[in-house]
Amino acid sequence: MKLNDSQIEDLYVFTRKHYVEYYDVQIELVDHLALAIEDQWKVKPQLPFEDALQIEFKKFGVFGFTEMVEQRQKAMARKYSKLIWKHLKEYFKLPKILLLLALTMVIYGFISTQIIGTIVLTIIITAVIIGIAVDGYRKRIKRYKLEKEGKKKWLFEEMIFQYGTGMTVFLFPIQFLSLINSGGTDISSRGSVFIAVLSFIVVLMLMVGYIISFEITRKAQIYLEQTYPEYKLVN
Amino acid sequence: MYIYIRTLGMSTSQLYRGSLTTIILKLLEENGEMYGYEITQRVKELTQGDLNIKEGALYPSLHKMEAAGHLTVTAKKVDNRVRKYYDITPAGKEETVNRLAELDEFLANMQRIINPKLSF
Repeated sequence: MKLNDSQIEDLYVFTRKHYVEYYDVQIELVDHLALAIEDQWKVKPQLPFEDALQIEFKKFGVFGFTEMVEQRQKAMARKYSKLIWKHLKEYFKLPKILLLLALTMVIYGFISTQIIGTIVLTIIITAVIIGIAVDGYRKRIKRYKLEKEGKKKWLFEEMIFQYGTGMTVFLFPIQFLSLINSGGTDISSRGSVFIAVLSFIVVLMLMVGYIISFEITRKAQIYLEQTYPEYKLVN
Repeated sequence: MYIYIRTLGMSTSQLYRGSLTTIILKLLEENGEMYGYEITQRVKELTQGDLNIKEGALYPSLHKMEAAGHLTVTAKKVDNRVRKYYDITPAGKEETVNRLAELDEFLANMQRIINPKLSF
């Protein structure tokens, strides 16, 4: 005996009720539960669907599906970090490395022109970050609306559009500069090697922010199809 | 490897926990692509019911191995639902060799400790 469409839908509802909000995790769980229930029916054909489901759910242990969701999040976070690295490494090859060096020189120029340069630089970076944050917020609102309309929620997609671990990465350059400034001494009075290294770190941080907010989100569709072979089947 | 599992006995043993990855890799290497439920059933069958892989442990392991590049995933529409199949990658095959070697070494050492006479 096989599960009918309505029972499959009930299984999706069941997983959602048990805090599995991501469709990619739900798919696997639904198939597993369905197979297990069908196997139970081979031995006990009279067993009600609900009872068979409860028997299978108990096999997942006291924490239910939580462990599975947590591990999935960890695995996806790892995949996401790898993706950022993959993009960042591209900036260490020609011709992109020239951009990296040019930006480093611009920031070097700002920092070495006394403390006022650092302040101007901080203001510029802050403005860029606010712009990115507003853009990100708009995208998030748009996605939220789509979800309300019934769009399926994919874990990796959410990670991509929520900028991975959050917006904190954008604040790094600011925090970094203010930390250096907080000592009371003018950064420009430090050695040129120090300023060059500092400039390069600030550029790297900005690049990571750019990769997370623009490059990866632009290619989201490709990455989602690579990550989820089922993505095309259900969308 | 299957003989080793039978020798260890005890279906709920902690001993199996560390070997779950090895079991999955070896199964996929021998059988080709498999889905989660199939893995649990195959293990049960091979061990004649001695070893039941907990669902709560199986999927996290599969996802971890996938993220590490040891497994690839494909999806197929079967009946009225989508099924995800896991298959071993070349990196996964290398990992299997290493893990089996480690397991062999572990078992040999355990034998020496438990039954010293056999080692002479």
